[in-house]
Amino acid sequence: MIGASTYLLENPQKITLSNGYGFFSITAKAGNYKLVVNSTGYQPDTLSIALSANLTLVIKLRPAGKELAEVVVSTSRKNDQVTKPLMGVQRLSMKEMNSVPVIFGERDVLKTIQLLPGVKSAGEGNSGFFVRGGAADQNLILLDEATVYNASHLLGFFSAFNSDAIKDVTLYKGAMPAEYGGRLASVVDVKMLDGNNQEFHASGGIGLISSRLNLEGPLKKDKGSFIVSGRRTYADVFLGLSRDSSIRDNSLYFYDFNAKANYTLNKKNRLFLSGYFGRDKLGFGRTFGIDYGNSTATLRWNHIFNGRLFMNNSFIYSNYNYNIEIRSGVNNLLIKSKIEDLSLKSDFQYFINNDNKFNFGFQITRHLLSPGVVEASATSSFNSRALPLKKAMENAAYINHEYAPFDNFRLNYGLRLTYFALLGPGTFYSYDTTGNVKETIQKNDGSAIATYINPEPRFSASWLLGPISSVKASFTRNVQNLHLLSNSAAINPTDIWIPSSNNVRPEIADQASVGYYQNSANGMYEFFVEAYYKWMQNQVDYRNGAQLRANEQVESQLLFGTGRAYGIEWFLKKRAGLLTGWISYTLARTERKIEGINQGNWYPARQDQTHNLAIVGIYQLNKRWSLSANWVYNTGNAVTFPSGKYRVNGQTAYYYTERNGYRFPDYHRLDLSATLKNKPKKGREGSWTFSLYNAYGRENTYSIEFKDDPNNSERTIAEQTALFRWVPSITYNFKF
Amino acid sequence: MYFLLVILLFTGLGCKKVIDVNLNDADPQIVIEGNIFSTPGPYYVQISKTVNYSANNQFPPVTGATVIIKDLTAGQTDTLTELPKGLYATRKLNGIEGRIYQLQVIIAGKVYSANSKMPAAAQLDSVSFEKISRPGSKTDWYAVINYQDPIGISNYYLFTLFVNGRKINNTFVYDDRFSDGRYVSRTLRTDSAYINPGDSVRVLMQHMGKEGFDYYSSFSQVTGNGALQTISPANPNSNLSGGALGYFIASYTSTRRTLAK
Repeated sequence: MIGASTYLLENPQKITLSNGYGFFSITAKAGNYKLVVNSTGYQPDTLSIALSANLTLVIKLRPAGKELAEVVVSTSRKNDQVTKPLMGVQRLSMKEMNSVPVIFGERDVLKTIQLLPGVKSAGEGNSGFFVRGGAADQNLILLDEATVYNASHLLGFFSAFNSDAIKDVTLYKGAMPAEYGGRLASVVDVKMLDGNNQEFHASGGIGLISSRLNLEGPLKKDKGSFIVSGRRTYADVFLGLSRDSSIRDNSLYFYDFNAKANYTLNKKNRLFLSGYFGRDKLGFGRTFGIDYGNSTATLRWNHIFNGRLFMNNSFIYSNYNYNIEIRSGVNNLLIKSKIEDLSLKSDFQYFINNDNKFNFGFQITRHLLSPGVVEASATSSFNSRALPLKKAMENAAYINHEYAPFDNFRLNYGLRLTYFALLGPGTFYSYDTTGNVKETIQKNDGSAIATYINPEPRFSASWLLGPISSVKASFTRNVQNLHLLSNSAAINPTDIWIPSSNNVRPEIADQASVGYYQNSANGMYEFFVEAYYKWMQNQVDYRNGAQLRANEQVESQLLFGTGRAYGIEWFLKKRAGLLTGWISYTLARTERKIEGINQGNWYPARQDQTHNLAIVGIYQLNKRWSLSANWVYNTGNAVTFPSGKYRVNGQTAYYYTERNGYRFPDYHRLDLSATLKNKPKKGREGSWTFSLYNAYGRENTYSIEFKDDPNNSERTIAEQTALFRWVPSITYNFKF
Repeated sequence: MYFLLVILLFTGLGCKKVIDVNLNDADPQIVIEGNIFSTPGPYYVQISKTVNYSANNQFPPVTGATVIIKDLTAGQTDTLTELPKGLYATRKLNGIEGRIYQLQVIIAGKVYSANSKMPAAAQLDSVSFEKISRPGSKTDWYAVINYQDPIGISNYYLFTLFVNGRKINNTFVYDDRFSDGRYVSRTLRTDSAYINPGDSVRVLMQHMGKEGFDYYSSFSQVTGNGALQTISPANPNSNLSGGALGYFIASYTSTRRTLAK
C-alpha cells in the first residue's frame, strides 16, 4: 500500500508514510506502543506492539465500507498536503478517477488530471496535456517506472492507461523530488495494481465503443499474486458489416494489455514483474495504414537490509514504434520508426529516524532512436533508405534529504546530477544560421559526439502555521535531453524524438514556487493556493516550412530560444460526505522568445490559456445511485490568424504579421454521468453507467480555416470545425 | 490531420460552421510574381498589393513600376513593357536551361530583386488516372503524373492541373528527397474530385530550383487548402529581397494532355 500513514499513538505528530512498495520504518525506544495504520479507502488498524528489539511487521488493511458516507477520513493522512514540504504534487485516488465522467464512458487517468489546477488540455480529442506552461513532450509519463512515449490511443481520444489495472497516480508539477528527472514540466507516476493475493476475481466492462476484462488472483496465497487486464475498441467491427467495400476495408481500433505479477521470496525480498503492450491501427482502405504503440516491461527486486535501509532495483525496457504503409498505384512504401530504452535503476531509502530520511540512487539508460526506415518496393516511386540509428546514454545519480529540523519546519532537498551523451558511430552535421551544412563529421567508433553534464538542485520547505495550515516555498531545476519534434499542437503518433546533440542543447527549466495550504478542522475540506514562475532555456521551435519527416538533417530545421511561464493555482476540495468534489482555477501565462520567429519578440505559446477552471462534483444519491458532473472552462489557445490577403498563382493567400496574436473562442463543456449499482448477488457485482459528454452540445473549436467563400468569390470566410457535440454512452461494469 | 477527418466521417459527430473573426488590418504589402519558362516568351511579372481580410477580393495592381530582368549568363538586359492591371511583359528574353536570371523591381524608389537559375531539362512522361472508390459506391478519378527523376542531383517540381481548360487551385510541389533517380508515379490528390470520365486533362510540370520548392511548399500551407494548414502559419519563404511577398522562379516546363478514360 503506497502512502499509508503510520504513527505511534504515543507520538501522533510523527507520521511516517509507506513508500512506493509499501515499506515504512519507525524508530522508537524499547517499550509498549500502539501502532496506528491508516490509508484512504481502508479501515484503520491499531496494533499493540511490545518493542524490545528490531521488529518487522507485515500489515494488511481491510477495505472500507462501500458507501462513501462511511469512509472516515483518517486523522493523519488528511493533513499531508499541508505538512509535507513537496509542492505541486497531486494524487488521485482510483475511486475519484472512476467517478468523473469522460467521453465514450472510458475512464481516463490522463483526462482526469487535466481537471487539476496547472494542467491544461491539448484540446478536444487529445490525451496530450500541458503542465504549468510546458510543452506536450515535457511530461514524463511512467508506468511502473517505464517511460511511456505516446500515452494515447486513437489520436488522443483514449489514453494508454486502462484504469482497471492502476493502483495510484501521482502528478508532480515541476517541483519533483531528486529521484525523478528527464522532463521539464511534470512527472505522472502511474503504478499498477498488484493483484489480489487471497482469491481470484474477474471484473470488466462492456461499452458502446470498447470493452475491458480484468483477471487477478494469487500465485500462491499470501505470497504472490498476478493481475492481467485487456481492452479493445470495436467501432470498426460495424464497418466490416458494410457491403460497401470502401467502408468495409477501413480499420480503426486499438487494444492493450497490462500484466503484473509479484512474489514475496522471504521477509526481506520481493520480486515484481510488470508489462504493458498496446497497439493502435488506423487504415483507410488498402491505400493507407498506420499502426503504432508502446510496450514496456519492468522487473523489480525489493530488498530490505534492516529496519532502516530499503533498496529497490529495476530493470526497465520501453519501446515506442510506428509503421506507416502506403499503397497507391504502383507505390508500395513502408515507413518505420522507433525509440527503445533499456534502463537499470537503483533506489535506496535510509530512515535515520522519523524526522530524518535519505533517498539516494542512480539510473543508467541507453536510448536507441531510429528516426525512419523507408522500405520501398522495386516498382515504387520511392527509394528505400534508412536514416541512421542514434544511440545515447542518459545517466543520473541523486541524493535527497527529508529532514525536519524543528517541529514546524520541514525540508525536502536534494541534488540530481545528470549525464547525457550522444554516441557514434555515424555521420553528424553542424549547421550555419540559415540551416545549411557547415561541417560533416564522420565518427567511426562509439565515442560521444556531444556530452552534457547538468546538476539539478531540488529544494522545498514547509513552515507549519498551525496543525492544519502551512506556507511552502520551493526551487527546482529540471533538464531534458529528449525532444519531440512536431508541427501540430499535440502529440501525433508520427512525431519524432531526437536526442540532445552537437546542435541541440539540453532544455533547462528553473521553477520557483510559493504556496499557502489550509485544511478545515474536521478534515472535510482541503485548500491551497500556489504561485510559480518558470524560466526555460533552449526551447525548440521550427523554421517556416520546416521539413521534419525522415530528414537526416532535421536539426537544421530547428530554431532555439527561451521561455517563461508564470501563474497562480487555486484548489478547493471537499473530501467526505454525500457530496464530494473539487474546484480548480488557474490564472497563467506562457511565452516564448525565439530568434527567427515573431521578429525575435516574446510571443504567447500556443498552449497559453489565461483562465482555466474545472468544477467536479460527485454525489451519492442513495445506496444504488451516484451522480457526477464536471464543468470545464478555459480561454482559447493562442493562434496565428491572417492580417490580410493577396493573390498568387490564381489562389487567395493569407498574409501573417505576428505569431499567436489571436485566440480561439473560449472553450467550455459540461459532462454528466449517473451510475446505478445492481443489488449485489452472491459474490457478483454489477453497475450501469450512463454518461453524456458535452451535455449542452457546445461547438468547441477544433480548428479555424480561412478560405474563399464558396458562395461568393469576392469574399473570404473563416470556417470553424468542432469535433463533438453531444456524445452519450452506456457502459456495463461487472466484478466477481 | 487527415485521419481526424476520416474519424469524423465515421462518427458523424463533427461539424463545421462559418464564424465571425475580428482580424486586425495591416499596411498593404507588395506582391510580385515573376516566372521565366523554357517555352518561348514573352514572360510576365504580376505586381499587386495585399488587402485587409475583410475587404473584397479585389487586389489593387501596382502600376508605374520599373521592372527589369537580366539574363546574367548571356549578359542580356530586358526592360519589361507595362500592360494593364499590374502586368509587365518581357520583350526579347529567352528562357534557356542552365542560365541565371535576375529580376529587379523598383517601386517608389524601393528595390526588390531576386535571382533564379533555370535547371536542366526534365520531361513529364505521361498522365494516367487512378480510380479510388468512396463510400456510397462512387468512384473518384484523380490524375497520376509519371516522370523519370534525374539521379544524383536535387530536383524540385511544381505540377499544375487543368481540367477542361480550367486551372485547379491546388498546389502540388515535390522534391526528390525520397525518390532520387526513380521513375515516379504520383497521384495528384485534389481536395475534391474534379475529373469525370471523358474530361480533357492537361498537366504542366515545372522543373524548378530550390527557391521554387521553398516558396511553394511554404505557400501551400497558407492557402485555403484546409487540411494542409499548419498550426503556425507564416508568410512563404520568398527569394525576393526588400520584403515583398511572392517569388521569381525560372523553370523548365513540360506539358502533357490526355482524355480521362
